Amino acid sequence: MSDPKKPFFVGYLPAPPDLRLFLIVSIVSFVVIFGATGLLIGSTQDDPGPGAGQGRQTVTGVVEMIGYPVIHVTQGTDRIPTGRTLILSSGGKNGAVGRAAPLEGQVVQVSGLLLERGELDMVQLRGGNNGLQAADGNGAVPRPKPLGRWKLAGEICDGKCYAGIMRPGRGLAHRACANLCVAGEIPPVFVSSQPVEGSDFLMLTGPDGGVMPQEGYDAMAEYISVEGEITRHGDLLVFAMDPTTIEVLP
Amino acid sequence: MSGAETILLLVRWWLIIGAMISVAFLFIGIDRIDEDARGAYIFRPLLVPAILLIWPLVLWRWYVLEAGREIWSKHYRPPRASHLVAAILMAAGIGTALFLGLSNRQTWPADIAPERLSAPGEANE
Repeated sequence: MSDPKKPFFVGYLPAPPDLRLFLIVSIVSFVVIFGATGLLIGSTQDDPGPGAGQGRQTVTGVVEMIGYPVIHVTQGTDRIPTGRTLILSSGGKNGAVGRAAPLEGQVVQVSGLLLERGELDMVQLRGGNNGLQAADGNGAVPRPKPLGRWKLAGEICDGKCYAGIMRPGRGLAHRACANLCVAGEIPPVFVSSQPVEGSDFLMLTGPDGGVMPQEGYDAMAEYISVEGEITRHGDLLVFAMDPTTIEVLP
Repeated sequence: MSGAETILLLVRWWLIIGAMISVAFLFIGIDRIDEDARGAYIFRPLLVPAILLIWPLVLWRWYVLEAGREIWSKHYRPPRASHLVAAILMAAGIGTALFLGLSNRQTWPADIAPERLSAPGEANE
């Protein structure tokens, strides 16, 4: 038999006098400790950045394949000026390599959600021909301009999440998502610690100008230094990284 | 081999070993250590998923019962006796994980400027 003098808490009855102090201390501690913990964790998180969707845009341009598809705009909109270079992706964790490759070098009409973050512009294409189809008009792929070999410090991200489809779209917490996106042929980008030729980000390819190699997946979302050749395609910088030079920074 | 590949390989081997043990246990062991299971077969496939995961415990219990080292009175010891220790360890574990996670983060290399190693057309050093 339990001790009848031992106080026992029943939620719908007044609290026993012997337990009131314990109850008050517990309640206050819970509120303070949980609040402080939330504040502490929240204050350590990085700013998710200004990336965001900017609504549907439809432009015309010329397709270029640089491992991943881009379009050099020949007929823009109020938001996307003519001459801009846009990276292309499809919905979900899918790129647009298969859709754009057959149209390489041709004039196309592109329609989809514009994602913007700083100098990074990406279009998430609408489904089917509504998103990407051959169009009338003239245009040519601008001549690439080699900028030499560089050593950069920064982070590999997937271009779509970083551009604003997810917030935050970078960092270790986002690593698995980024790897899945890039495995789905969404173009990866290198976010540089400081601007390179005026740009904080560069589209990333393998050393041969193809898709990002395996080593890039392993280094995704970590702060690294890496060497590679930079080439300007239109107004887009492309970084053909040399995976043998990847070094994880402290 | 990357970290992810290593983890997948370990998981695969854990499940393969678990599958072999589940076959041995459900065809042989269970009849030897549990007389109530003798002649009953339909329920046995239901045990397979759990054996795949906790096969070391299955092996240990099989050995204890088979060797006659079972202490029956242990069954009646309230399992809650260890709850306080488990709760303290879990709380400490959460705190430790938070501390390590927050203190072991990389620092954004804001002070490292891009370095041009060679101009276009130059041989790479």
